[in-house]
Amino acid sequence: HIGESKEYAESLVENEGLVYVNGYDDPPIIAGAGTIGIEIIDDLPEVDAVVVPVGGAGLIAGISCAIKTLKPECKVYGVEPEFCASYCKALAAGKPVPTEVTPTLADGLAVPVVGPRAFEIARHYVDECVTTTEKMISLAVLRLIENEKMVVEGGGATGLAALLPGGALDRPELKGKNIVVPLCGGNIDTTVLGRVIERGLSADNRLCNFVATVTDRPGGIARLTKVLGDNEASIKDIYHERAWLHTNVDHVHIKCVVELQGKEHAIRLKRALLDHGYKLDWDSVDID
Amino acid sequence: MPTQQAWGKKVTCLLKSYFTIIIMVSLTEALDLPTYKDVEAASVILRDVANRTPVQTSRFLDGELGVKVFIKCENFQRMGAFKFRGGFNALSNLTPEERAAGVLTYSSGNHAQAIALSAKILGMKATIIMPEDAPKLKVQATMGYGGNVLFYDRYKEDRDEVASALKEKTGGVLVPPYDHKHVIAGQGTSGKELFEEIAEFGETLDYLFVCVGGGGLISGCALAADHLAPGCKVIGVEPEAGNDAQQSMERGEIVHIDTPKTIADGAQTQHLGKLTFGIMKEKVHKIITVTDEELVSCMKFFGERMKMVVEPTGCLGLAGLKKLVRNGDIPANSRCGVIISGGNVDMSRYCELLLS
Repeated sequence: HIGESKEYAESLVENEGLVYVNGYDDPPIIAGAGTIGIEIIDDLPEVDAVVVPVGGAGLIAGISCAIKTLKPECKVYGVEPEFCASYCKALAAGKPVPTEVTPTLADGLAVPVVGPRAFEIARHYVDECVTTTEKMISLAVLRLIENEKMVVEGGGATGLAALLPGGALDRPELKGKNIVVPLCGGNIDTTVLGRVIERGLSADNRLCNFVATVTDRPGGIARLTKVLGDNEASIKDIYHERAWLHTNVDHVHIKCVVELQGKEHAIRLKRALLDHGYKLDWDSVDID
Repeated sequence: MPTQQAWGKKVTCLLKSYFTIIIMVSLTEALDLPTYKDVEAASVILRDVANRTPVQTSRFLDGELGVKVFIKCENFQRMGAFKFRGGFNALSNLTPEERAAGVLTYSSGNHAQAIALSAKILGMKATIIMPEDAPKLKVQATMGYGGNVLFYDRYKEDRDEVASALKEKTGGVLVPPYDHKHVIAGQGTSGKELFEEIAEFGETLDYLFVCVGGGGLISGCALAADHLAPGCKVIGVEPEAGNDAQQSMERGEIVHIDTPKTIADGAQTQHLGKLTFGIMKEKVHKIITVTDEELVSCMKFFGERMKMVVEPTGCLGLAGLKKLVRNGDIPANSRCGVIISGGNVDMSRYCELLLS
């Protein structure tokens, strides 16, 4: 992870006399990032709050310094992926501490230790830092693509993720306010983008997967696909698996990936399949 | 006494009247064409309603092509496509009685959503006639904007008959997707804005690349180009499989084709409109075609380099520019405008194409 890269880079300074420029902790870097804060106040003087993704804390250090200097009553919130909450951990410990990094969609934010200078500045200005889930990050990327036609990388969409319904900043006191969310980056491989979109669709219950147990006799799969068709589920992938079912020798597993219209539709389909007597493995949809 | 001379006079007189009538009829048809004044009027109506979408540039693209490209991003327009402009302008020009009767249209694409949203903003009723097998997402989007959707069986029923019957019953006004004066004028405001915006930096355009479906966008933009930059060559771009506009320009008359197979679903129209062709044949320099692969390549470029989502039809403009640059038809350093028509693409289709 990036911590290891940092150690190696520092060794190159020693051995080869190169100048090391830390990506988030150098004062000029923090100052440069902070120009976003100046532009926000310029473009929207009536801003009430700014929500900033946090990786090494360089961006939020710069932006919060600018915002709080120019408009102290404007709130500044930080958002981190829960899989790498190094800033929140540092706040709790009172200083930067190493954090375990789990692979996250917000790969640009996967920094195990926040920068010490950045931390000192940020803790002075930032009102609060929250975390967000992978699911919310993928939903944020999807919303930006579908509704705003913008391609934003996971880390860049993390601020929005916290503001979405169910997010950590989905709060009554922020409703109706002017909130600026820097979409801080858009460098995402188109192949990775495709996969992130699929995660978002899955989080949105528009792409669902489940396993149905059907009879091995002729017509078994046909009957299943008829139920899917009758319930307007579009089959994206269907896989017939025989060898790993240990109970009934005359039954097989059918793994299905279907395209649906959302949560209501998913619930309807699950109920229909259960009503038809299918044994289902479909945890992500709850029917009450 | 009637002599040959007298008969000759009578015949000449009759012939003169006959030809006068023909000329008057065609002049009357020509008079029905929108002009730049209509585009100006439309821009006033759209001023605080439509998004004034950004004009973007790309150093990477300029370096790659050796020209200066200005991209008008109508994918950031309300409801995700330029169609909002024409739809809203058309509905705004209805009389109070017409508004009360409600609007009808047929489309399963962006025009449907444009009319539904515009009607909602203006407090009007909108009925959109769609084929039963229209994509669910488009049906949902249209309904989401408050439109009433009426389905018909495209294999058994005739769309025009369904529309006429509904018109009889409700007295509603039919606003077609492109062959309409106010629709064309509305679409043209996108070109007008592009020229105005770059003029602030002392720039103008040598070429303007526009996608062509029914011709609404290109004819509107051609009106703007003709007035604001008469030296600018307006070039239309169609999918290779659906080059009815290219054929029409070559033959001098509107050519009809079967629905073409292409990923550019906004350009699957079977023929140009009378009004749109009327403008195009005078003001469009030429029409070129590109392949679906070239569209996908542009879609990936827009996503990766410019961080924006463009639907396949919206990629026609840039794909056309790239093709002509490759062919050596565009002098180095030319100022080239590109209109992105929209960004409404189904998510799983977008993923599929990105991963292809």
